[in-house]
Amino acid sequence: MIALTRMRLHGFVRTGRAVAPLIAALAVLSILYGGGQAETVEAYGVSALVAFPVLAWQTKILLDVEPDVQRRLARVTLGSAAREIAAGLLAAATAGLGTIAVALAVPWVFGGVKGDASGVKGDAVSILIGLAVHLLALGPAVALGALSSRAVTRTAGMGAAVLVTGSVLAIVLGLQGSPAPWLVPPLMAATRLTTSGGTTRTALTLIAHATLWTAAAAFAYARLRRNRA
Amino acid sequence: MHLDDVWLRYRRGGPWVLQGVTARVDPGGIVVVLGRNGAGKSTLLQLIAGVLRPTRGRVNDRPAVVGWVPERFPADQPHSVTGYLRAMAAMRGLGSAAATRAVDEWVHRLGLGGFRDVKLPELSKGTAQKVGLAQAMLAPPDLLILDEPWEGLDAATRDLVPEIVLEVAARGGSVLVSDHRGETVRLPGAATWTVADGTLTTAAPETGQRCVVEVAVDAADLAGAVARLREQGHHVLRVREEVGS
Repeated sequence: MIALTRMRLHGFVRTGRAVAPLIAALAVLSILYGGGQAETVEAYGVSALVAFPVLAWQTKILLDVEPDVQRRLARVTLGSAAREIAAGLLAAATAGLGTIAVALAVPWVFGGVKGDASGVKGDAVSILIGLAVHLLALGPAVALGALSSRAVTRTAGMGAAVLVTGSVLAIVLGLQGSPAPWLVPPLMAATRLTTSGGTTRTALTLIAHATLWTAAAAFAYARLRRNRA
Repeated sequence: MHLDDVWLRYRRGGPWVLQGVTARVDPGGIVVVLGRNGAGKSTLLQLIAGVLRPTRGRVNDRPAVVGWVPERFPADQPHSVTGYLRAMAAMRGLGSAAATRAVDEWVHRLGLGGFRDVKLPELSKGTAQKVGLAQAMLAPPDLLILDEPWEGLDAATRDLVPEIVLEVAARGGSVLVSDHRGETVRLPGAATWTVADGTLTTAAPETGQRCVVEVAVDAADLAGAVARLREQGHHVLRVREEVGS
């Protein structure tokens, strides 16, 4: 499974398909941090929210690089549909970690955030909170991107529709007063937590919500892929 | 390995591509899958390989190591020939040394030595097809599935295909080969499965093993020679002009 993960990451990078989502991420981050310095944790909260569609799109691109017949060959070679599916998700999550590293580093490189008044220790805590909130977005983004991949949706139009609809719903149904916030990953709630503050219990609830949503969406992806090699 | 009442359609409510297919391949068995274009040969082979899941029924006792050579090798990938084969060997669970040995063996055997560092998209169709054959053989397969393996191959490699098939069978592996070009006359003693209208008809190997002998005759005596061979009960498969004479 690790060999297939490596092969898919290699294909993603060597074909140059990794460039488009990276440029998109940098464009979004430059807009986000272009207006002046922000509080670090608040900025990371918004950054995680805007990174969500980029990470989902990146996942779709990564999974779509491999020709359909090669994907089937990988399934036969591994002798397991589950491992072939898991290798794709693992490759997408690994690529996502790279994008998250960029998202965490960019504001420091370009002076987009204010350093913590308490010094390096405070900055380290802010970065860890930023990492956590980005990781909260990564699982759902990988699952959504996988659900929009060609192996599931068959056509480019349907793939784009799933990706855009999922991203828009994640924001709209995550707004305060939403009738069904549990239907989407808790991205908006996580952003509110970083801007307005909250308890540890609230943070743990969001982590549980994001984990359950990721598991449900990944399960749906795996079920669909069983008959869609 | 056996198929028990296997049905397949690609979407709910769609037409059945395969209906009630029941068949068995024993270890060491060779099966030639015949049928017109679009009859469902490739679908059947992908079911057996584990690429597709039956809509109904089951494929039982599929061996652990399956080698599948698809009809068209997916050459649109950014890997070099050896890079690709090494990655596929790693996927098979071969360690670095074993992978190197397996890749070297099949690169040499299939005449890919001059293409080691060539990127897959730059290969000709036939050379890419050889890479497809090599990846299926990196770990000795217990079940080898060849979908139109002769397509685009040069004469030397076309001769090598039956050799590989017989080697796998001699090791106790099962082999399924689809063919629409009549090349499977190179596999005497194989059972035949014919796919037509979604159903499968199986026929056991002919009891008397037949071989193909290429005979050069004087052009002036061609008609007489063919007639004499037929009189003697031989099956004349084709007549061609001798190349390079």
